[in-house]
Amino acid sequence: MRLAGRFGGAALSLVMVAVLGFFLFRVVPGDPVVSMTRGRPTTAAMQAELRAQFGLDRPLPEQFWNYFTSLLQGDLGTSFTFRRPVADVILERLGPTLLLVGTATLIAVGLGLWLGVRAAWRRDSGFDRVTTGVSLTLWAVPTFWLGMLLMMVTGDLFPSRGMRDTDTAPDFVSQALDVGHHLVLPSVTLVAVVCAEYMLVMRSSLLEEMHAPYLTTARAKGLRDDVVRRRHAVPNAVLPAITLVFLRFGLVVAGAITTETVFSWPGLGLLFYDALTGPDYLLLQGLLVVTAGAVVVMNLLADLLHGVLDPRVKVV
Amino acid sequence: MNPLLELKNLTVHYGPKCVVNDVNLALAPGQTLGLAGESGSGKSTVAMSVLRLLPKSASVTGEILLDGDDVATMSWGRLRAVRWAAASIVFQGAMHSLNPVQRVGDQIAEPMRLHGVEGNALDLVEQVELPRDKARAYPHELSGGQRQRVMIAMALACGPRLVVADEPTTALDVVVQAQVLALMTRLVREQDLGLLMISHDLSVLAETCDDLAVMHRGALVERGRTREVIANPRHPHTAALTAAFPVIGDPAHRWAEPAPEPEPLLQVRDLVVDYGRTRAVDGVDLTIGRGEIVALVGQSGSGKTTLARTIMGLRKPSSGRVIFDGAEVARNGKALKAFRRQVQLVLQDPSSALNPRHRIVDAVAEGLRVHGIPGDEESLVTAAVERAELRPASLYLQALPHELSGGQQQRVVIAGALVLEPRLLVADEPVASLDASVRGEIVALLLRLRRELGLASLIITHDLGLAWQIADRVAVMHQGKIVEQGSAEEVLLTPSHDYTRALLRAVPQV
Repeated sequence: MRLAGRFGGAALSLVMVAVLGFFLFRVVPGDPVVSMTRGRPTTAAMQAELRAQFGLDRPLPEQFWNYFTSLLQGDLGTSFTFRRPVADVILERLGPTLLLVGTATLIAVGLGLWLGVRAAWRRDSGFDRVTTGVSLTLWAVPTFWLGMLLMMVTGDLFPSRGMRDTDTAPDFVSQALDVGHHLVLPSVTLVAVVCAEYMLVMRSSLLEEMHAPYLTTARAKGLRDDVVRRRHAVPNAVLPAITLVFLRFGLVVAGAITTETVFSWPGLGLLFYDALTGPDYLLLQGLLVVTAGAVVVMNLLADLLHGVLDPRVKVV
Repeated sequence: MNPLLELKNLTVHYGPKCVVNDVNLALAPGQTLGLAGESGSGKSTVAMSVLRLLPKSASVTGEILLDGDDVATMSWGRLRAVRWAAASIVFQGAMHSLNPVQRVGDQIAEPMRLHGVEGNALDLVEQVELPRDKARAYPHELSGGQRQRVMIAMALACGPRLVVADEPTTALDVVVQAQVLALMTRLVREQDLGLLMISHDLSVLAETCDDLAVMHRGALVERGRTREVIANPRHPHTAALTAAFPVIGDPAHRWAEPAPEPEPLLQVRDLVVDYGRTRAVDGVDLTIGRGEIVALVGQSGSGKTTLARTIMGLRKPSSGRVIFDGAEVARNGKALKAFRRQVQLVLQDPSSALNPRHRIVDAVAEGLRVHGIPGDEESLVTAAVERAELRPASLYLQALPHELSGGQQQRVVIAGALVLEPRLLVADEPVASLDASVRGEIVALLLRLRRELGLASLIITHDLGLAWQIADRVAVMHQGKIVEQGSAEEVLLTPSHDYTRALLRAVPQV
């Protein structure tokens, strides 16, 4: 029953996202067609044609019905700037973003949780102070500045633009190496920025568990300090961090905008940037639905995983 | 014979504060020793020092000899080998002393694997009279008594010769406490264990231990055979501790004055409360007279807290009526709010009932603000605080809860109720979390409020001694029903229902 409730809640959120996506771009002040064609010479006839093409001449309920039924079929409309279906454009960019964000999240989660555990266990030690200080600094600096700084410091060591070179041999190994080479700088930037959050959450979560009586029980049994930490403290302290990891992953899909723009990484973030400069309303609407949907789905996954890891939470 | 445990000149400081001062104790194999004292007396610090479990901020001097080996100076490797194998600990409040995300069977088996002891966790589970399949349960799936049994099974896992039990039954109700104590006594005798049992409750120690030591402000003030210490206490603090626990049937411990049959203030008629399919309160009739103190006793899970919440209008009854001062209590709206002002709640644990960031003046004035009562807030608050015997009020108004003692905090909670000039106080275990010496003062306060203000009280408790001390009438609740009610003398001295007799039998005797 509760499982059904979770899924029902997620489905409801997705519908809300779709509705929001529709209205968000209908309530922006001004005529979308006018702002789309700004700076270009257009006649009234051309504008009327554009309006008909986007269905903007129809009454609002009909527009919504068309939008909603096509959305259910995976049709997000046609991008104005790319002259291709929005769904295709987004799908094409999804791969690079998942590669970048996935790699960065994996590293950031592993590193952040490990650093957080170490820092909390030796609270107020030199290690704790240095990691907390460095993490906070990295978190606080602007992402684009950090990215540009990395480019300058590393010089020609790593490529700083795009995802692959045009002159790489077409076989899989060379292509993979090339992509990996391009991946270094953007993922390091992203890790540096998001790692702090995982580290700090893990640290404070473990600090709260540090005085839990069951750790005294574990010590009294004669367990070594690191076993007490690994077997008893961390499995309890990691629970709040799990939710954060998944929520952030959902957000980071969209939130890599700055990093992708700085390094011209051809992912969703860069696409967002392009759609905004357009402005390409249907593309923005599609991106909003997809990224907000990702947050909802990730949240659902976090809930389910939390139920598996914590026996006190009954999901099924 | 070498003593199993010997403490020589044990002294523990936290910074400049001395919590254990020059304690000398010895425990022979197979001997049972109770260590009594109030909170802050240093008794738990002594327990933790036996396996060197004190936090780093503690500085320990003196010797802690476990089988002749000094725990205070042994190497970490040797210490880890000694822990749990030579001596183990039964911790208090097993909920937090067990890892919440591990099956209890694995937690019992953990020290066996670690110390290379042959054996089976399931056998241990059976030994503490739990069904074998409980080994697969997580701590939150067990009751308080079952968790305490798991702690005992865990303590016996490596066959230690000494068991230290730190308040092993404090959170349990009287019937479960009696069962757990009986189990511990049996296992200690069968396996010829040494037992060092720490408790604030002398009657619990009297049930289980041959010898008794009393601690006060870090020092050992008395030591001897349990019976002799309790019968002829030589130190005034021991005398205070023995006097604080009321003996049912002893007229000296009956503080409630006889009162004439009063007019009814609150009447509960055929009240039923369901939680889903469970019937928590099943057809209850109960009357509280003006200025009368009624004790509602029963085990945890008997439905007494649900009944109290329904009386206060915090829960809607499934059927039945609550009549206050001749009129049926409204279920919502202004009339309900007005009713709530006249019926105030006092909870068990004052430290969690008070917001740690609110000053006392704000904590007490909150009810005035909620109910929008006119008048000078400061003088009303001052009067209520002084009526709760925090005098002069100016000393306390600006304090934060953590700056006060447990007894003072409970007085603040009572002042918060008094400020609204209620006619009925509903008190849920009002003294259960308080030290023995403070407990008597709070009981006396409730009685004085009745005498001076005509304040009626419904005292919810599993402590029959408290009922004897304070109540005019006692109602016994079992599985949602009131199985017996009458004057305190009738119910507690000549009980007519089997369940009442079972409750009375479970009370530990000094």
